[in-house]
Amino acid sequence: MMDLQIPVLKTERLTLRGPQARDFDAIAAFYADPERSWGFGGELDRNNAWRWFAAMIGHWVLRGYGFWTVETQNGDVVGIVGIWNPEGWPEPEIGWVMFEGFEGKGYAFEAASEVRRFAYQVLGFETLTSNIVPGNDKSVALAKKLGAWFEVEYDNVNMGTDHLYRHPSAATLEGMP
Amino acid sequence: MTVAPVITTERLTLRPLRLSDFTGYAAFLASDRAVHMGGPHKQETAWSWFCNDTAHWPLFGFGGLMIEDSVGRLLGQVSVTKGLEFPEPELGWFLFDGYEGKGFAGEAALALRRWVYTHAGLKTLVSYIGRTNRGSIALAERMGAELDETAATPNGDDCFVFRHPAADEVLI
Repeated sequence: MMDLQIPVLKTERLTLRGPQARDFDAIAAFYADPERSWGFGGELDRNNAWRWFAAMIGHWVLRGYGFWTVETQNGDVVGIVGIWNPEGWPEPEIGWVMFEGFEGKGYAFEAASEVRRFAYQVLGFETLTSNIVPGNDKSVALAKKLGAWFEVEYDNVNMGTDHLYRHPSAATLEGMP
Repeated sequence: MTVAPVITTERLTLRPLRLSDFTGYAAFLASDRAVHMGGPHKQETAWSWFCNDTAHWPLFGFGGLMIEDSVGRLLGQVSVTKGLEFPEPELGWFLFDGYEGKGFAGEAALALRRWVYTHAGLKTLVSYIGRTNRGSIALAERMGAELDETAATPNGDDCFVFRHPAADEVLI
């Protein structure tokens, strides 16, 4: 596979690396499950999951940032976390998905915190959002744990009625440990 | 038709105007604090402005919003309006007595600026500011706006025109 030179980020328990072809089965399983994928665009069959996966990799080429695959130290692929800003999006957002069996361990918080730090300190973003479908309470809880607050309800091109959460700015977080 | 949104910021809620806001709104415009807005103004003028700020939403997709703090106190107003006399849409703000100096106007104005750039399709914004209105000049500069000496003013008034960073600069 072509090397997109996606930076590898490390946290206490996790490694965030560029997506690889071998991650596809986990993505496809996530999208095949309507209970898990409804807050992330909804159920997709394997063919359309592949299209989404390819778009996710293309997003890195077009934007210079995107979703990382999140792995534990023993190599389990636990989810994807990154910065997402496809055509039609109001502005760049931090997004997260945890795969089945890897929720409730604080992995999404740990990875999203690191992604946000990287976006502010290395990519030079000044602000970030997270778009959350109303009713996705787990994601709302995570957004709040990250210090984000509900800003406005709006109509998202892909998700329909959507809630935009605003993260503390780069300047605000700079003053924090 | 755009319905006026509710926008939440770290400390504030920006929400549509309600009839019950008019008393405070008119009292502000009747006070000496409205000197930088061509005041003090009579209640009739305040009413026409109040209706103007409200009617902008269905007509243009942007307009005025009242600023509340986390316990529901009314702090002032922030607006993007394009009245007949305005050459282009203007981002404006005012705070009621006692609420200045805490960064509330800037927090509200930044949020509304971002909202209209994102959702109302505006690409640029100005603020028309009286030449002696040092508080608003300082705030416009803190928001990254710069004096635009080529821009037209409302009715040819002798005010400053501060031009804000464009939509494509604010929305990376």
